[in-house]
Amino acid sequence: MSDVADALLSMTAITKTFPGVKALDRVDLSVRAGEIHGLVGENGAGKSTIIKVLAGVYRADEGQISISGQTVRPVTPDAIHKAGVRFIHQELHLVQHFTVTESVFMGQESATWAGLSRRAMRDRAEAFFREALNTEISGDTLIRDLGIAERKLVQIARALIDGQARLVVFDEPTAPLSSSETDRLFAAIKALKSRGIAMIYVSHYLAEITDICDRVTVLRNGCNVCVFDQVLPGSADAMISAMVGRDIDALFPTSDRSPGPVVLEVQALCHAQFNDVNLTLHQGEIIGIAGLIGSGREELIDVLYGLKRATGGAMRLNAAPLVLKSPADAVDSGIVLVPRDRRHDGLVLNMSVSDNVNLASLHEISTLLIERRALAAEKARGIAERLDIRPRDPAAMARNLSGGNQQKVVLGRWLTKGAALFMLDEPTVGVDVGAKVEIYALVEKLARDGAAVIVSSSDPGELVGLCDRILVMLRGRIIADLETKGLRVDHLVAVTTGGQAA
Amino acid sequence: MARPGLRKMLDAVPIAVFVVLFLYIGMNSANFLSFATWELVLKQAVPVVVVSLGLATVIIAGGDDVVSGGIDLSVPATAIICAAIVADQVTNQQASIVMALAMALAAAALIGVTNAVLVVRVGMTPLLATLATSVAVVGISRVITESRRIAVGDATVLFVRDGRIAGVPVSIVVTVIIGLAFWHLVHRTKWGMNLQATGGSRDAAEISGIQTRKFVALSFVLAAFAGWLASVFVLARGSGSSPGTEDTLLLEMVLATFLGAAFSPRRVVTVWGAVLGAVLVSALSVGFISIGVNVFWTGCIKGALILLVVASAAAGREQ
Repeated sequence: MSDVADALLSMTAITKTFPGVKALDRVDLSVRAGEIHGLVGENGAGKSTIIKVLAGVYRADEGQISISGQTVRPVTPDAIHKAGVRFIHQELHLVQHFTVTESVFMGQESATWAGLSRRAMRDRAEAFFREALNTEISGDTLIRDLGIAERKLVQIARALIDGQARLVVFDEPTAPLSSSETDRLFAAIKALKSRGIAMIYVSHYLAEITDICDRVTVLRNGCNVCVFDQVLPGSADAMISAMVGRDIDALFPTSDRSPGPVVLEVQALCHAQFNDVNLTLHQGEIIGIAGLIGSGREELIDVLYGLKRATGGAMRLNAAPLVLKSPADAVDSGIVLVPRDRRHDGLVLNMSVSDNVNLASLHEISTLLIERRALAAEKARGIAERLDIRPRDPAAMARNLSGGNQQKVVLGRWLTKGAALFMLDEPTVGVDVGAKVEIYALVEKLARDGAAVIVSSSDPGELVGLCDRILVMLRGRIIADLETKGLRVDHLVAVTTGGQAA
Repeated sequence: MARPGLRKMLDAVPIAVFVVLFLYIGMNSANFLSFATWELVLKQAVPVVVVSLGLATVIIAGGDDVVSGGIDLSVPATAIICAAIVADQVTNQQASIVMALAMALAAAALIGVTNAVLVVRVGMTPLLATLATSVAVVGISRVITESRRIAVGDATVLFVRDGRIAGVPVSIVVTVIIGLAFWHLVHRTKWGMNLQATGGSRDAAEISGIQTRKFVALSFVLAAFAGWLASVFVLARGSGSSPGTEDTLLLEMVLATFLGAAFSPRRVVTVWGAVLGAVLVSALSVGFISIGVNVFWTGCIKGALILLVVASAAAGREQ
């Protein structure tokens, strides 16, 4: 490579094999001093593997790592740390009841013979937030009283407070953040860049990648595909093509459905977070709900599933009045939800795939006292095959599945029951592109088989590609009802953010 | 944080309950707010305070989940067996008090290391591991004492029981020093911060380069050490070894430590919280006696009050 000479980090020809799988095959990654370098690829493309090789967690079979021209050998976590590389993990790893100062200095407290230098540490932490991260956070605040973005900043400060960092690796830092919180994090990242700190930025959000990265390396199936030396707003499509090796339009299934009779009718529905919501949903129709955090989008889904009570208005399901006092009422009426937080609300992580799939239809597979395990496993195997859940083993633990496969298990649970109305809340968050395609195809098939579907999502591209109509919520009201035929994603974004009238 | 007002109210419940209670007792018993009564309260609290320091250290290192976090039920048993060893050595074997205390310290160290190995190496749940060692240790102490009280007339023990330094009972002075030492170690040193980090989030501590297993192991040794220290006060209070006191000590230790968490602003177990909790539990006992509450009702009322305080703290944390 031509830029090896002026590279801060250069990883060359890294190969890593796990039993039966070649995770990395002669991968190069080169980061220049002071740049933000994006690292993208589907889940399983090798992003986390190469990061773990860099961290010294995995030992590469072949290849070498050099930092500022110095070859690091052997690559241990300690040697990498000494070379000035820091990692901002996806998980926050903070203690809820610690103060900001205590968290920043965890494991590296400064103390004298008389005890901790608490005031000195607090002043240093606050100065660091102000000067290096371009933000104000009080050192005495407890972590549990902070917002997620601020916690992320505390995590960053903990990694950088010793002043020795030259390269910081961010792993999906914005996954739990709203867009305004993301802006705050980006301000901090830009402040770090202006101090000459180089960064590797791993993310599924390509809009962020094109927004802040100077160069981007794309991985696919453990190989380098290409390096973008220049990143333009339009580069995202080219990156997706490079990542998946197919065109973006192929993500979404073609739809040839015609709507049937009305399934759900909502009139003047009210709640603390939204007002006067009207919607009509037909059989075989997919409608999307767009809206920023705080627009009432999440609460609307909660009310339609009986998780929260409406304060006014009326709902009719298949022309019969619908009153929801609890999710059990919703399920009994044939309304099901694939919740946004599948790990907490969607799955019992410590149960098997089979148990999770059968959770909603236990009465079918069990008599009063006896659970028919063979029948349950058979049913789960059928679902696993139909949805291509990997591994196929119904006894596999839900927690060991990838995000996409977990989501398929949640969907599969409702397929065993059959329902009139499917609601999916953020169905593809944290799911790789390949699994996304499968989930989209599944949603399309549900609609074709006669179900009505509501998709609530913060991904405008997903809504435009998947839905027939999109309802846009802003500050608790539906402000637009958009046909997706011919709708441009940037127009939807503009309406959603209130920047443009429908 | 949806309803900060409600959270604030719940936060104030523990303190309010005790203030109201003590005012009530004070109005109905002329002596309750007197100096002598509170000296008695503090003297009675001493053994519980010291074992609670040990338990607090283990909980701080292991996390405050009662089932899966750090807990050490064997501290009172350690205190009892140490008292039994000292009493047996001094009274039956005519050993010197220093020699007897050294033997007791060795026994305590053995218990602490056993707990540490069971939890850190073998990977047992602290609740089960220390429950098992506790039962075994109490059994051995029964063997040593043949389940009888062994009186101790040693001058050191009597000094701890009756002596005064500058007018303050020796046991209180010594306990204050022990408490300050634990407080400094756990809350004011780098070692202590790492201990707290280990209990706060094992993963976070690991990532920050803290050797968490070492801290968990040391917390059990420190707890056993607290048990050994407490044995001196157990001896002094009973003027000898007194089998059967471990049950009360165990219950009051657990209650005092978690009650202390309800009083701490962060709602976590702390060293000073454990001390405060032990003193309050002792004050309740003395207070109820002083206003003539039927002894059979005392336990019931105490239990209900503690439930109220701890439940309001839990509800406040939920908000």
